[in-house]
Amino acid sequence: MKELSELNFPDDVMYSDDHEWTKMENDEAVIGISDYAQDQLGDIVFVELPQVGETFEKGAEFGTVESVKAVSELFLPVGGEIIAVNDALEDTPELVNNEPYTGGWMLRIKLSDKSELDQLMNKSAYLESLKG
Amino acid sequence: MNNLFKTILHDRHVDLGAQMVEFGGWVMPIQYQQGIVREHLATRRYAGLFDVSHMGRFTFQGQDALTFLQHVLSNNASGLEEGESQYTLIPNDSGGAIDDAYLYRFYADEYLLVVNAGNRLKDWDHFQACLPDFKNVTMADKTEDISMLSLQGPTSKDILQNIIDTGALPEPMRNHLSITTIQNKKVLIARTGYTGEPLCFELFIDSTDTPPIWDLLIDQGAHPVGLGARDTLRLEAGLPLYGHELGMDPDNKEIPIYASPLSRFAVSLSPLKKDFIGRKALEKQFQAFKKIVDQDYSAIHDLPRCIMPVALKKKGVARAGYNVFQENRHVGYVTSGTMIPRWKIEGEGIFSKLTESHDLRGICLALLDSTLMEGDDIDIEIRGKQAPAVVVPFHMRSEAPPFARSIPWDKIGQEKKSPGEDDISGNVQSLLKKSIRNTKWRQEECINLIPSEQTQSELVRLLSIMDPCGRYAEHKQVGAFSEAEVFYYQGTDFIAEVEAKLETELKKFFGCQQVETRLVSGQMANMALFSALVDYINRSDRKNEQRRLRKVMNNHIIKGGHLSAQPMGALRDFVARDPLSEKPAVINFPVLPENPYKIDIDACETLIQKHAPELFIFGKSMVLHREPLAEVRRIIDGLGMDSIIMYDMAHVLGLVGPHFQEPFKEGADFITGSTHKTYFGTQRGIIGTDIKDEDPRFELWEAVKRRSFPGSVSNHHLGTLLGLLMAAYEMNHFKDSYPKKVIDNASVFAKALNDCGLSVAGDPEISFTETHQVILNVGYAKGPEIARKLEENNLIVNYQAAPVEEGFTASGSLRMGVQEMTRFGMEAADFEELAQLFKDVLVDNRTVKEAVIAFRKRFLEMKFCFTADQIGDNIQKLHELL
Repeated sequence: MKELSELNFPDDVMYSDDHEWTKMENDEAVIGISDYAQDQLGDIVFVELPQVGETFEKGAEFGTVESVKAVSELFLPVGGEIIAVNDALEDTPELVNNEPYTGGWMLRIKLSDKSELDQLMNKSAYLESLKG
Repeated sequence: MNNLFKTILHDRHVDLGAQMVEFGGWVMPIQYQQGIVREHLATRRYAGLFDVSHMGRFTFQGQDALTFLQHVLSNNASGLEEGESQYTLIPNDSGGAIDDAYLYRFYADEYLLVVNAGNRLKDWDHFQACLPDFKNVTMADKTEDISMLSLQGPTSKDILQNIIDTGALPEPMRNHLSITTIQNKKVLIARTGYTGEPLCFELFIDSTDTPPIWDLLIDQGAHPVGLGARDTLRLEAGLPLYGHELGMDPDNKEIPIYASPLSRFAVSLSPLKKDFIGRKALEKQFQAFKKIVDQDYSAIHDLPRCIMPVALKKKGVARAGYNVFQENRHVGYVTSGTMIPRWKIEGEGIFSKLTESHDLRGICLALLDSTLMEGDDIDIEIRGKQAPAVVVPFHMRSEAPPFARSIPWDKIGQEKKSPGEDDISGNVQSLLKKSIRNTKWRQEECINLIPSEQTQSELVRLLSIMDPCGRYAEHKQVGAFSEAEVFYYQGTDFIAEVEAKLETELKKFFGCQQVETRLVSGQMANMALFSALVDYINRSDRKNEQRRLRKVMNNHIIKGGHLSAQPMGALRDFVARDPLSEKPAVINFPVLPENPYKIDIDACETLIQKHAPELFIFGKSMVLHREPLAEVRRIIDGLGMDSIIMYDMAHVLGLVGPHFQEPFKEGADFITGSTHKTYFGTQRGIIGTDIKDEDPRFELWEAVKRRSFPGSVSNHHLGTLLGLLMAAYEMNHFKDSYPKKVIDNASVFAKALNDCGLSVAGDPEISFTETHQVILNVGYAKGPEIARKLEENNLIVNYQAAPVEEGFTASGSLRMGVQEMTRFGMEAADFEELAQLFKDVLVDNRTVKEAVIAFRKRFLEMKFCFTADQIGDNIQKLHELL
């Protein structure tokens, strides 16, 4: 596993305690897992994502990500309706390892309550929480 | 992790960026920087290097060591010769596993047992508790003194070969061992492993010597692989892991040893094992297993569930402990499972290749009700959802070295090609055209160099399809008529005459008293003789089960022996199981280290003394030398043994005589052979012997006749019998010139190929060959591809595994014979020219198809057959009669 200094944490996304990131594009939120999370998991071999059209509350389990050795649940950092999932992960789950913030995105959702964004961390707060 | 053990390579792992974890009381690398997926793939394509020094290593010495091991281990340790190893289990009284283990015998007086890291202390205590019942056993824990590396994968053999200073790799068979030095350090090598790789090695090295050897292996291109990929590799290979497939199940019930397919083979119920720990319970499991195989579930309580490979039909991950259902009924648990990578494969059959891309598949091993069978559809509950899955026979196959091949669940077995259009006149036309094309191609455009083939003369071929080809002429000698041959059908006088004349001609050729000609193949001839021997050795007892041959000595298949003398081939039902090894009671002629095509007579003598074989089978299909009949005859006569020497002369039948070998003068009791390789005949088999009518062994010859008819044939294919008589006339007529010319041409061809810079097998001192064969080394596992390339240039040869190779898919040799082209008139200078054409293709990578066709045009007329004036105009009549 890498040192924190070797990992990538972009400034233009927000982070949750469960190591998901959220990025607003217009009125939609794009969601994935952080570089830290993918590094901890190791080689990702399977990502299970919900159906488009389903609605989840903030904090709800929306899927799983499986590495060779272990399964981890995925929790929504903000509630809303799923409007797209990243189908490419079905055949190339390694995108989550290789490009966690771009090609490895997981969901696009329509927010139920924009104020939930306020509870997410910016880069420095997230880094602080990782060091803790 | 302060209280944990560290292997001698700990700092190497950290320097390589490994992620270190606790495992079985040790700090071990779970993965390196490449990650589990890449490490798995690198092992399957190149070679993976594993530090497995965490595993426990115990040695056992002393007079009672074997007796002790027979008591505490499940397998039959008395079957282990020096230089061999075996998988075994440490059973408890109830037939479960305390641990599974591997037993190595590098030295005659020392056994080395490798056990799981996490069980080392438990195993040690268990052995210590058993030890007081045995007097002379010295047991030592060498885990920290000796380190253990595992090098697995297609390039592992090359890597090791490059760095070995003295000694050699073990024989190319699983579980074989050798002792070598690398950089002046002693390295014990075993052909074992835990990945399913067909090329696999485990190395035992004094711990202090290990780090430089690890570095050297990495420098040579081995990829370091951690415990993560070690687990996915063994899962794909279907190998059990203690704590998952052995030990306790998720209900905390003990898994019977017989539940695990591989472990089953590591249990011996031989009387030699006496009352070993767990015997009674294991016998019950065995009885239950035998019934389950027959779908009789009356004893299923002794073996309620078995480990089976299971594949998910869709993408997903089934992990250990997940529940399995069949039609909503709970039928067991996943014991190990994840998604694993595989190299995608393209192409078909032996020419299929690993591509550069990979995918992932969900596979597992599961402990399922013993009533389930291969192909059964099941569901695995993954977080509350049912995922469709299927019981499969395997996830991977290892029998095509150098690569292990993954087999996804939907790719098991060949897809059946759909039958063509039901257009009868189209089919007829197509078959005729293709037959004509094929015959013109092989007879007029190709250089045919398969050493087991021959073109028959026009006369032989015509006679083979005359009227007798559709007739029957069963006959046997009847004592009531003073051993007169009695025929069962009318219209057979001509065939009776043909058969009698054929016997006369063959006796003349071989210089022997008796010949049996009714066998229709060489393999059938061998089986008839084996059957006759079993019949003969039981002649004083016809009431009890007929015993088989107690011990047979033959040429191993990888040293050139043929299927028709192997327990996996024609010998199977005629040779006993060796009570020590519980394998077919066959030992192999030892070969010279510097020339594996030649039998080592000195080493032979020791083996003969030790094993006293009842039957010796000489003869090979990859043959460069005369067989040492006279030498072995001298040895067995010197020992006063009553053994039978048979010489399967299939390949060299047409070479019999002073230029090659005279089997009966040299001491053979029997010869067998097919009649269509160096001999001019149609495709049939014969048995010959010099046993005379008054000989006490004449009863054996009578058994040969009975086991030929009615034992092997009813109809003995009279068309080719007639053709064979003409071939026998030809053979006797040309026996002073043809065999010598063949052997001379082979030497010239071998030398010319060697002069072209190609690598010719054999001893250059004797011009490489004493037979019709020439063997070319073309590079490990390259044989099939190069033979195909030569075929595209109309040069027909056949690829074969050399004596150091693991199997036919790893073939690095081309086997060629000059007998057919010699018959078509090729002389020494022509073979030198042919060698150049080989060089053009193999060295200069040129296309020579047109040149080969032009070359062949010079050799269309068959020699060594009767001329027009000898034949007269009868040949036209034969044509007209068709």
